[in-house]
Amino acid sequence: MAIRRINGIELERMLRSGLANLQQHEEEINRLNVFPVPDGDTGTNMCMTLAHGLQNAVSTTQINDFLKTLSAGMLLGARGNSGVILSQFFYGFSQELSRSVLIGPGELRSGLIRGYRMAYDAVLQPVEGTMLSVAREGIEHIRAQITRSSGIDVILSMYIAEMRRTLAQTPEMLPVLKDAGVVDSGGAGFILIFEGMLKYLHGEPVESAEPAVRETAAPSPSEPDLSLFDENSTFADGYCVDYLLQLMNGGSYDQHFRLQNYIDRLQKYGNSIVCVQNDKRVKVHVHTKTPAYIIQLSQKYGEFLTFKLENMQIQHNEHDRETQQVKNKPLSVVAVVNGNGMASLFASLGADKVIDGGATMNTSAQEFVAAFEQLPADEIVVLPNSKNIILAAEQAAGLFKAKHVTVIPTASYAEGYFALAMDMPDSSDVSRRIQQMLRGAKDVVTVSETTASRDWSYHEIRCRKGEEIAFLGGELVCVNSDWKAALIDALLMIDGAEDKETGVVFRGSGVSEEQEAALAEAVAEKLPLLELEFIDAGQEIYHWVLGVM
Amino acid sequence: MKKFAILCDATCDLNEQFRTQYDIHVVPGHITLPDKTDLPSPMKWDRYSREEFYANLKKDPNGFKTAPPNTQEFANAMETLTADGTELLAMTISSGISGAFQFASTAAKQVMQAHPEARIRVVDSLRFGPGFGLMAVHAARLRDQGLSLDEVTEYLEANKNRFHQAGWLDDLSFVAKKGRLTNAKAFFGTLAGIKPIGEFDYNGLTTVIGKVKGAKAAYAVLMEYIAQTIEDPEDQTIFIAQTSRLAQAEVYKQMIEERFHPKEIFINDVFPACGINIGPGLMAAYYLGKPISEDLSQERAIIEKQLSKEE
Repeated sequence: MAIRRINGIELERMLRSGLANLQQHEEEINRLNVFPVPDGDTGTNMCMTLAHGLQNAVSTTQINDFLKTLSAGMLLGARGNSGVILSQFFYGFSQELSRSVLIGPGELRSGLIRGYRMAYDAVLQPVEGTMLSVAREGIEHIRAQITRSSGIDVILSMYIAEMRRTLAQTPEMLPVLKDAGVVDSGGAGFILIFEGMLKYLHGEPVESAEPAVRETAAPSPSEPDLSLFDENSTFADGYCVDYLLQLMNGGSYDQHFRLQNYIDRLQKYGNSIVCVQNDKRVKVHVHTKTPAYIIQLSQKYGEFLTFKLENMQIQHNEHDRETQQVKNKPLSVVAVVNGNGMASLFASLGADKVIDGGATMNTSAQEFVAAFEQLPADEIVVLPNSKNIILAAEQAAGLFKAKHVTVIPTASYAEGYFALAMDMPDSSDVSRRIQQMLRGAKDVVTVSETTASRDWSYHEIRCRKGEEIAFLGGELVCVNSDWKAALIDALLMIDGAEDKETGVVFRGSGVSEEQEAALAEAVAEKLPLLELEFIDAGQEIYHWVLGVM
Repeated sequence: MKKFAILCDATCDLNEQFRTQYDIHVVPGHITLPDKTDLPSPMKWDRYSREEFYANLKKDPNGFKTAPPNTQEFANAMETLTADGTELLAMTISSGISGAFQFASTAAKQVMQAHPEARIRVVDSLRFGPGFGLMAVHAARLRDQGLSLDEVTEYLEANKNRFHQAGWLDDLSFVAKKGRLTNAKAFFGTLAGIKPIGEFDYNGLTTVIGKVKGAKAAYAVLMEYIAQTIEDPEDQTIFIAQTSRLAQAEVYKQMIEERFHPKEIFINDVFPACGINIGPGLMAAYYLGKPISEDLSQERAIIEKQLSKEE
């Protein structure tokens, strides 16, 4: 019998099955990512985005409430371009169903349509042959066939079949895929999610092999510094209290627990309350100066499974200490880097907050939002320094309303470097400073070099694993057995290379000073006008990153 | 009436030819080399060539140190020059970046106490290097026109804020380290082709009023800046200072000549007394122009307008 309606709990279970299915193929999706250096991580990004959404979602039969919390979590947890697009899809889906209690065939159809449209809107220049095309054609080709009596499972089967057809076509739509002999990774990942959802409806849910939420690259909160609170401290902020309450059966416990009533009473003792009930368990977050009353109130209904209490004054004082340097600054700069060398370099160049994006883990919108919150300045500038992170930064900027955030779409360290170099930190004219940083990032040509991690072909260019490859503006342009030759050839391909006068060179980890001297000599010979500033930045992945202007 | 004498410290960067031509005396300060040798601030390249000196400085910026003439040295020079009853104008490097003005003022007081008939006026140039030197040249010319010590002193006090610096300092690591730049911590060292445009502020410190990408764009912005701030260029002597940027200074000189037709234009060296604190990256023109605004807002606006125009 066809399934005509699903509620929030069912959709949650479907999505968990979808996530598990995606996780099982995560590595496969990563490998589809057409880029011969190991920053192909579409699968990982999509998994983490969906996992974050599910972690944030409130379990409820109400489809709108579930979707609202799911998509909010996905928007915040979005990683990489694929994660941002996926989160926007579910955000659109959620918007469409904001008044629906259940999903029927009509809701599913309009949700899938609104979802892909929202995803298109999120991308400045939508590219066909990607997840966007897959999501769009999947529903557009079947929308006319969906009727009020169509089963949810039938619609999903048709949807998946159409999407697979489009996915098979992606190499024809996007030459870069054809050259690499792969289909689009984001599209493939998207289909895996829906396949997992359908399997659940077929009674064969995919079980997750790993915990739903993985440790992220974000630093784990360190032990509080107890010296920040002593007998003379002011206690103004109270305690941050988190607990999981098990509602108990039995005569000694009040059997008439009502969530709203409980929240109303908590409000007498504290604020910032977040309270979620799942059957006979209640998860609570509250800020209070008098936790005793809350414990007393809660024990009327049950017992604590967990209970965590932190003195927020310590956090407050720590925060004050950390932000002292950036206090009173009208503008703060957030830069994304990889590796300690780059982190200290950008900090020394004047970035107020440096986020370590890691070698393969893209910074999520949430990590950006957390950074924005930490900075006291009302005006924030973000330097993503990678084209994979620009979208997530922009998403975070859109989500974060408390301060004005400008994303300068720096696609490389070199662009970020010149943006900071052009900043005028002592100017009180914030818009002028932003203008200066935009000027800095403009017209910088980035050339980078590394060793190929696998065989690859792009247009006319082929490389084998282990060969030295050089990129111009992110595109593979030179392959050589000699790193220096590959790099110099790429430099010579810059428009008007012989007239270029200045540039910066970031030396990666594992590259020696002798190699630096050799490069300087080779550049001096081929491009005598070009003066290079060498910086031992220690980045991973790329042995060399050059910015020429 | 006998003309008054002019005494500067070594940071005026006037070479022997100018000193003779304009009859300007110099009391040298001190420099210390990395091997701890203590020398009177040289005003010619004898011990080192320009290139050698700045290359060594770049290698060991902290090894080189400077000190202005002390009170006694100023006093000795003042006594000698005023012994025959000659009046004296003493000019010093900006009090914003050196103690020389304090020392010279104290010395003048001491000398006038010991010799009540002596007349010494001390002027804080609020400038350094060839900017200071150009001001001394103006003072000497006014003296030659017959103006008295007091008249020249008054002219300098009223007009020193019209001595402009239009140029770049593309290695800020020195100025930042030595505290000779406003808000020095806000700037980082070498900038791979970015040219910070420096002008004197009201307190005699160099302030970055704009940053421009690449030398070509910087020249264009500077030419416009000069055009909007200079007065009567065809009657002027313009100095171009360069620490270790001779090639760029030559280009700049030619551009200024072609556009502004100044009466005279010279490329001047920056000798170690200033050079040690500025580093190799200075390339700037000095000229007389409109008064500089107190917060440099008008000057910043000129640069910003020019940059927006080019976009």
